[in-house]
Amino acid sequence: MRDDLLDPRAVLLRESAPDRDAAIRRCGRALVDVGAAAEPYIEAMLERERSISTYVGEGVAIPHGTNASKGDVQRDAICVVRFPGGVDWDGEQVTLCVGIAAKDDGHVQLLSQLAEILLDPDRARALREATEVSQVMKELT
Amino acid sequence: MPSIDSKDIKKLIVACDAGMGSSVMLASQLRKQLKDSGVTVEHTPVNSIPDDADVIVCHSGLAARAKASAPGKPLVSFQIFLGDPAVTKLVNTIKNGGTVDA
Repeated sequence: MRDDLLDPRAVLLRESAPDRDAAIRRCGRALVDVGAAAEPYIEAMLERERSISTYVGEGVAIPHGTNASKGDVQRDAICVVRFPGGVDWDGEQVTLCVGIAAKDDGHVQLLSQLAEILLDPDRARALREATEVSQVMKELT
Repeated sequence: MPSIDSKDIKKLIVACDAGMGSSVMLASQLRKQLKDSGVTVEHTPVNSIPDDADVIVCHSGLAARAKASAPGKPLVSFQIFLGDPAVTKLVNTIKNGGTVDA
């Protein structure tokens, strides 16, 4: 596993957001803050979400940009943003977002790993309820 | 409705919009599930589905674009990225034999 994909500074475990768009902006901001994407990428994430939801199940969504926005990606990275109070995601309740900025396939293995975690209800719960950055880093990298 | 016998399936394409998120996740799952079947799984943007694709898998929200991009190919559409019954059925058909028509 590449260890440069998830910067501990991009793991935010006690966030709150009034709605889906605010949650996506928070994720986009986290990616911009660690130098993974340029500012316009945040709007592209919102645009992508409007076309098809990135909700993947188990209370988790994986917002990311559009194909056209790859030019705004500076390096492959993810962020993990937890909303303990939940966010209404087109009728689904999301408590964890894994935001993605990728122009190559560097993050594929990590997504594959995330899928494995989410298909295991116990591990999915552990990830959703993680309160320490180290727990998240351990699960995902 | 286009159909194909499972033994003729060599390449499965997960068609997506951006190719960096959910479709990548699904493609990796399918690759794992079909590891021993000899079927290649790739993910490509919905407007550049390769000619040698045998079956297209995509989110229902992209189905119309996928059909326009690869006319005449069997297309399995799903709503849930992980554990959708339509995808499970496709995997079982490829593993156990049968016809994919969608």
